[in-house]
Amino acid sequence: MTRSNAGSLADLQRAFQDYVLESSDAFAVQVRDTSKADRVTLLDVYRDGYALRLIEVLTIDFPGVLAMAGRESFDVLTRTYIANHPSRHPSVRWFGRQLADFLATTAPYDSTPALAEMARFEWALGETFDSVDAEPVGAEDVMAVPPEAWETIVFAPIPSLRRLVFAHDVPPSWQRREEVEPGTLEVAALDGPVPWMIWRPERVSNFRSLESDEAAMLGAMIERQPFPALCEALLPYVEEDQAAARAAGLLRAWVEEGMIGSFSH
Amino acid sequence: MTSGIGSGLGLRHEHYEEILAAPGKVEWFEALSENYMVAGGQPLDWLDTFRRDYPMALHGVSLSIGSIDPLDERYLADLETLIARVEPMWVSDHLCFTSLRGINMHDLLPLPYTEEALDHVAERVMRVQDRLQRRLVLENVSSYVTYAASEFTEWQFIAELCKRADCEVLLDVNNVFVSAFNHEFDPMDFLRGIPRERVRQFHLAGHTNNGTHIIDTHDHPIIGGVWDLYAEAVRLFPGTPTMIERDANIPSYAELLAELDVARGIAERVTAREAAEPALGGAEG
Repeated sequence: MTRSNAGSLADLQRAFQDYVLESSDAFAVQVRDTSKADRVTLLDVYRDGYALRLIEVLTIDFPGVLAMAGRESFDVLTRTYIANHPSRHPSVRWFGRQLADFLATTAPYDSTPALAEMARFEWALGETFDSVDAEPVGAEDVMAVPPEAWETIVFAPIPSLRRLVFAHDVPPSWQRREEVEPGTLEVAALDGPVPWMIWRPERVSNFRSLESDEAAMLGAMIERQPFPALCEALLPYVEEDQAAARAAGLLRAWVEEGMIGSFSH
Repeated sequence: MTSGIGSGLGLRHEHYEEILAAPGKVEWFEALSENYMVAGGQPLDWLDTFRRDYPMALHGVSLSIGSIDPLDERYLADLETLIARVEPMWVSDHLCFTSLRGINMHDLLPLPYTEEALDHVAERVMRVQDRLQRRLVLENVSSYVTYAASEFTEWQFIAELCKRADCEVLLDVNNVFVSAFNHEFDPMDFLRGIPRERVRQFHLAGHTNNGTHIIDTHDHPIIGGVWDLYAEAVRLFPGTPTMIERDANIPSYAELLAELDVARGIAERVTAREAAEPALGGAEG
């Protein structure tokens, strides 16, 4: 038996995959017609099913992108993505991971940056949905912190928290995704970039926009900076004598919203 | 194999609330392994909730036991974690390949039924079984193409694999029906060719008949021909737990329960008839 034996298991599997991925039709000679159907009709059950199955996954994971693009454009867009980013994970749950980057960097979609922003938002929602569980810190836990500890205390967000910045009105538009005909969802450009956060304190995910000073303090917290540094992060936005009070107010709100996962001092 | 566990349905998020509202309508659930290979959140919360009240089987689609790629260690580790959480009655996947050259096709691609494939799959099944410390239950897939290279029938291949690797069979009755139509064999030859003691579970499902070929779509109610074949399967593999798969056009939980009652009725009638006519029941198998 030679290395080039076309009937070997390895060669047959490669040829089958090449057929499904539309890179070669050579596999057709390896299978039989039946009395009812020719081999190409039968093989195309696999070729057609491959794309349709993955399009269905993306349809479920990216309803906002579908509402913006419309069914026909979404079909073209997803087929291009499928051809360029084959699945590398055993679970289809992860298949759409690169869609936002694909839309941000691939013509003609890169000329509509709101599409990539919508994809990024929807992917982050999915990440938050089944991320690691954590019991948020309660207000009573923070109130029990001794005064001297506030010089060194470090807070950490719950693991599901994601930060995003949008130049378009993405989350409010996403909430209208089921109210509009596919292809008609408008996502307006904003005057400037707006920071958002997504987090899941218990079973249900939340999202909301952030004020500039809040986003700066959140960034410092995510970097695990101690509380005095969180106050400093606010200085470009508030008077120095107001910073500690504003930081305490934001921290209280974050605790109430179930955003804080732990602290140490 | 007689386990007496009865009838089950697939655990689907569309039915979570209905299952809570109508407890005890099925004896067990089959959870799709990949749906619960996540870090946390509602999927695992629901899984734990239902596992407290029902026995479960784990059913995977991405083991890719027949692939010439190396076994996916990350997938096996995730499966081990899930097995520890669920403590399932059994763990099943499909006799096929789903990934190659690192690309997951997310489809159940059939194998050529050759001596080379048999050696390859048997060796991998034994490695997975050693790692999971349990027998693997492998399902016959629906297929649309017949390899010219095949040296065995599908049922010969499965029977020999069970013998070599000491694994078990998830006998999908609909898939037997679909493949028999597509490949023009007698489905009874298939059923008679599977060793009785190896069948751990039945699957039932609906399909789409295109006239020239049938596609295993799991999006319709079970048809009469599949029910007839199921009656034969119950006769040949008495006491095997039955489960109905529905993956698209998913009806209400109540509607699936009604379909499961049809399966229960058939199993009861066949079992009663076999008990009344033991000589006939013992003539085959």
